[in-house]
Amino acid sequence: MGTAEIGQGAIILAFLAALVSAVVAGIGARTGSRRFISITRISVISIAVLYSLALATAVFAFLTRDYSLKIVSEHVDSSLPAAYALSALYADKGGSVLLWGWLISLFSALIASRKHEYDNSILPCMLCVLAAIQLFFLAMVTFVVNVFEKNPAPVAEGVGLNPLLQNVAMLIHPPMLYLSFAAVSVVFAIVIAALITHTPGAQWVRWVRRWALFGWCTLGLGNLIGMWWSYNELGWGGYWAWDPVENAGLMPWLLITAFVHSISVQRQRNHLQRWSLVLAILTFEFTLLIPFITHGGIESPLHGFYGSHFPPYILAVILVTLAGSLGLLYMRRKDFQKDERSFTLISREGASEVTNIILVLLTAVILFGTVLPRVVELFGGTQIAIDRSFFDRVAGPIMLLLVFFMGVCPLLGWAKTSWQSVRSNFVFSLLATLLVVVIILIVGGGKWYLISAAVCSFPVFTILLEWFRRAKARHQDRKENYLRASLAMLNSNRPRYGGFLVHIGIILITLGIIASSFYSAENMVSLDVGQSMKVGEYDLAYDELILKGSQTKVSAVATVSMSRQGRHIGNLYPENNYWFSYMDTFAEVAVRTTPAEDVFVSLVWTSFDQQNKSVTIRAMINPLVVWIWVGGGLLLIGGVVAFSHQERRDSQYKDR
Amino acid sequence: MRKRYFVGGGILAVAVGLLVYASLGSAVSYYLTVSELLDRGSELYGERVRVAGKVVDNSIEWDADTLKLDFVITEGGEDLLVVYEGARPSGLKEDSNVLVEGEYRSDNTFQASTIILKCPSKYEPQE
Repeated sequence: MGTAEIGQGAIILAFLAALVSAVVAGIGARTGSRRFISITRISVISIAVLYSLALATAVFAFLTRDYSLKIVSEHVDSSLPAAYALSALYADKGGSVLLWGWLISLFSALIASRKHEYDNSILPCMLCVLAAIQLFFLAMVTFVVNVFEKNPAPVAEGVGLNPLLQNVAMLIHPPMLYLSFAAVSVVFAIVIAALITHTPGAQWVRWVRRWALFGWCTLGLGNLIGMWWSYNELGWGGYWAWDPVENAGLMPWLLITAFVHSISVQRQRNHLQRWSLVLAILTFEFTLLIPFITHGGIESPLHGFYGSHFPPYILAVILVTLAGSLGLLYMRRKDFQKDERSFTLISREGASEVTNIILVLLTAVILFGTVLPRVVELFGGTQIAIDRSFFDRVAGPIMLLLVFFMGVCPLLGWAKTSWQSVRSNFVFSLLATLLVVVIILIVGGGKWYLISAAVCSFPVFTILLEWFRRAKARHQDRKENYLRASLAMLNSNRPRYGGFLVHIGIILITLGIIASSFYSAENMVSLDVGQSMKVGEYDLAYDELILKGSQTKVSAVATVSMSRQGRHIGNLYPENNYWFSYMDTFAEVAVRTTPAEDVFVSLVWTSFDQQNKSVTIRAMINPLVVWIWVGGGLLLIGGVVAFSHQERRDSQYKDR
Repeated sequence: MRKRYFVGGGILAVAVGLLVYASLGSAVSYYLTVSELLDRGSELYGERVRVAGKVVDNSIEWDADTLKLDFVITEGGEDLLVVYEGARPSGLKEDSNVLVEGEYRSDNTFQASTIILKCPSKYEPQE
């Protein structure tokens, strides 16, 4: 029995186990029988074991370059390093689904093995939903794309992995996204189970919180790593192009961001429950939508790996689950009537609700721009394209509004805020912001610097001020020094201060995006050895070109010496590689990063001829780009801080 | 109480709707094949369009010194000369499918501002 048979067998057994789990869990949920619940738990864990076996065989086939399997021969060759051979698994459409489904099975097994965390009434129901989701994924890897399909004839050497995917970011980016999608499935399962079993909001929100935060954090980081890859690998000098595949990753993130905020209101105030439920359902549907959107994206061959036979199935599943979930929500409408409380618009609930609405509108607009060309094509016949200026113009202002709201929220209290209580903070922050604006006016900078500085510094000041005020109170009460007081404060309310850290991260990202969008400089010229070019305030001299051959490619490495105002700063070594397997060239950019700006150099053209060393170099100065990645780091830290807060089982809700 | 939210949400939605409406016009371009473009001919002069076609054999001319690139794309038996200023994109080869975005000019050439390569989703090894 070969690898293919073992893998295929494990998948089929996992499929049967998922079928059993769904049925048994259903019976367990209906009857509440402990025996059925125990059987469900065992069978859910067995799905994960079988799934792991299937994944392990696939990984083994990749590492040993077992070219008898189609998936292996199509994505790797013998010269590929082992780490990339591993990532080649999810360069394949079937491999991606396998990985995605496997993570869902792991999370389901985790839930099944921690029975004390969830009530016996909701646990079988959750496992039933999760088993149904797994059935869908297993059906895809069994019937739609067969991961373990064999090559009809022996193959001596594989095709190899697309050079653009041979980048460290591509080892992390896809698994991060699948981790988050799997967590979103769990969120969906909890929410649906809660609706079915009439579980009160105060209870399910406790179970869902960490899964949602985990999904939010991994999706955010996954997207940022994708941006980093785009910037450092694709060589066009940007990191975001409003490409359908990027939008497909952004939309569920915006929705889950809204969800995380609305459950935080719900957790504290038991409000916004229905809204949270809708968001959870929508987020889940959007994660399923991703393969539908990325399919056939001619603009993005790298993501075009979802086969043409996927979409109809997926669209049908999305529509059915969406209709079913919303129908269920409608049937349970009477559950929510009791605990609505009133609050005014100028309160934290009010501001949260407005932020939520804005996030959903933003998602809707991005969805509109992404699918409009397809819809027009489907109904009108003519083909149209929407270029990125649409997204820039629409999403830009909405995102700035969101950043502004980050500054408003910390000022407000729950339920009702009196003007007196916010006035001093508000006035102080506003004055500080004005000061920043005045400084920029004096120092000089364009109107976009001005607008962004104003919008970004206001929330920074309100957040820092709130932090300082609390730390000061602690300092006075307990005689702790400020650092200690800050840390203790952070520890005492991790969700809140984790959120503050995330907000500062988002503001840094915003600054980086605005500065690099409006103030980058670019120049592209062809140079001979000894000639130099100017970009921004920098002089770039082309000193030397070295050609190196290897088994897989010929590399041309240019030495570019950088100087600023006559002072030499350092050398950059942009490359251009000719890959034999692709019969094509791929540039590897060289970037010098400082807190103020990146010098980005790409060797876009060379003849690969020892005699003719002339090259075409594209150079850019991209201000403040590094702050996008620093902001991403804060996102992670803030996410971990908020995640580390664990609610006790018996915790009573404030104000309840 | 509820009403105020619907009004507030409604105002936001209308504002966003206006923003969409204002931004959409200039961002939409026709997406045509070479033969469709030539059929409509002069009515498209000066318009922003995207055109898809296949690069004709031996038509790629690239001057590294002036960074000028031109090539002919074909589809449905008709040819279009594409003129571009900038780096030659890697992957631009004879017979490859490309998508060019830019302006159709009155001299019946196409001034491309962006060249997008339509790669086959799966790389097939040469037999």
